[in-house]
Amino acid sequence: MLKSVIILQKSIISRKIRRLLVICTIGMPILSILFLLSLAIGPVDTSIPETINSLISVLNRGGKAKTLSEVIIYHIRLPRTLCVLAVGVGLSLSGAVMQAIVRNPLVDPYITGVSSGAALGACLAVFTGVTIMGTILYTIPLAAFLGALLAFLLTMSLAEAAGGSDVSYVLAGVVVNTAFSSLMTILIILGEEKLHGILFWLFGSFAYVSWRIVWIIIVPVFALSAVILLYAYELNVVLLGDEQALQLGLAVKQFKKMMIVITSLLTSICVSFNGIIGFLGIIVPHTARMLVGSDHRILLPSTIILGAIILIIADMIARILLKPIELPIGAITSLIGVPFFAYLLAKRGRMYAAGQ
Amino acid sequence: MRPDNSIVIRIEGVTLRYGCVEALRDVTIDIKRGEFLGIIGPNGSGKTSLLKCINGILKPLAGTIYLDGRLIENLNPKEIARICASVPAEIPEHLNITVSDFVFLGRYPYIRGIWWEDKQDEEFVKRVLAYLQLCHLKRRKLSEISSGELQRVLLARAMAQNPKVLLVDEPCAHLDLKYKLEVMELLKALSKNGITIIASSHDVNLLSRYCDRIILLNRGKIAAVGKPEDVITERTIKEVYGIEVLIITDKDGIFVIPRRPLPSFSGNGSD
Repeated sequence: MLKSVIILQKSIISRKIRRLLVICTIGMPILSILFLLSLAIGPVDTSIPETINSLISVLNRGGKAKTLSEVIIYHIRLPRTLCVLAVGVGLSLSGAVMQAIVRNPLVDPYITGVSSGAALGACLAVFTGVTIMGTILYTIPLAAFLGALLAFLLTMSLAEAAGGSDVSYVLAGVVVNTAFSSLMTILIILGEEKLHGILFWLFGSFAYVSWRIVWIIIVPVFALSAVILLYAYELNVVLLGDEQALQLGLAVKQFKKMMIVITSLLTSICVSFNGIIGFLGIIVPHTARMLVGSDHRILLPSTIILGAIILIIADMIARILLKPIELPIGAITSLIGVPFFAYLLAKRGRMYAAGQ
Repeated sequence: MRPDNSIVIRIEGVTLRYGCVEALRDVTIDIKRGEFLGIIGPNGSGKTSLLKCINGILKPLAGTIYLDGRLIENLNPKEIARICASVPAEIPEHLNITVSDFVFLGRYPYIRGIWWEDKQDEEFVKRVLAYLQLCHLKRRKLSEISSGELQRVLLARAMAQNPKVLLVDEPCAHLDLKYKLEVMELLKALSKNGITIIASSHDVNLLSRYCDRIILLNRGKIAAVGKPEDVITERTIKEVYGIEVLIITDKDGIFVIPRRPLPSFSGNGSD
């Protein structure tokens, strides 16, 4: 017994596994506490024990809420918080993967054009006023998702025409972003009055989340995230650059393409329902990298936990800062993100400039 | 066909083209197990192209390559990586990982499960680190070690692939005299242990001293191949490089001293 423990301590691999466990044992309780806090606060605050009791009794009854606080917690705050958690995970993970693929830590998951595609789709939905099941609340996410996919397909075909390297994806994304943004500007000018309501979406908001939407977000987000996690080792190999990765036996071009498709899909799902939440995909992976290093087997799980934590905090700030008015969550993440990003750019931009 | 067991690489009539420029023309050579082969030639003569054909990075237009008796087209990238390892000339800038993480990446072609290397991988990496005297550096970051140490770390990652063939492009480009000799001695020792070394370099003197055989490439063709003293002569250098040289031979090898360019020489192709 003692001998095996000594061997375990010497092993580099088991040291890594232990580190991962430590990160999880620190991160998960923090995340759980924030999750409960997020359920407890709002226009009507409930205490933590009360929240736990209400939650347990509602869940025991299979979702049938009896008291007012049970209704609020189960039908409003729980779906909202679950959704925030999923989007936090999805956007942060997409950012981490995109940064590894392009080998530049300053790119965000919107680089392939999905955000402006989604925005244009959402604007079109509001502009045309098409309703599904009598409400525009379902039209916006559907149109946004289709717009995001369309933008990504355009980026992809342009990038493939330009040789299909990761850099051509970035450049094609810039072109598509610009095209879609200008179309959106025209739309906004044409439909000034009508499009006022789109603002809440453009800056991101979780105010309209219901149980019906939660599943559509959570299931694909966690499935795609699991797929990404499987490839953590390959993402380490990718950091060596295309040629060395190929020499180590990774079919690097196909792998990168697959990852770009997965992350774009993941990002599209995250933005479709809740709008464009800026900077999360840069701040979170970057902070995680500073904390735990760039081994993706440790970095990706840390990014997941940290992404969920930060977005839950941002959502709580959005809800309580100017109570009872709710601020768009994208504005909060951008407010935190802009100084952070500026700092990174000034401090490390020079270092990354030669990164290619 | 069952090739001779002692032959690790068989290259037959390989021609490679970039656009309309022929980088390699009808290159044919057999390379034996444990051989230390040097590739020399002017800039743009096809040294790097030949190395990249051997590990499947570039696909030749015509000709066949057998790695360890198997046709290279029938091997997937991981199978090639288990036979052939390249020692890169440098690491990507700002790759901020530790020496041991970097060397572990050499085990990638052997990873069976997901995520983690197994005990065998770890044992192998430990042996490589010990062999190259890098154990004391294993927790240091790549950015924190000297260029001589870095060269050994690069070699260590290639050796972690447990290759039969080690491809080295410009092994000593950024190294001072002492480290140059150290790296060459290491490569020589590896070849004595049965690993085939194929090194390309501009440093004719250094290669001729350590290599068993030398290929002299000129505009994608093999101009001469054989023992260093047979390949490197005043006549061949004059033909290929277009310069007059003085060649001194002593017990340690051959020393080429450039004297003057030939005024009538028409140039030897470019990069």
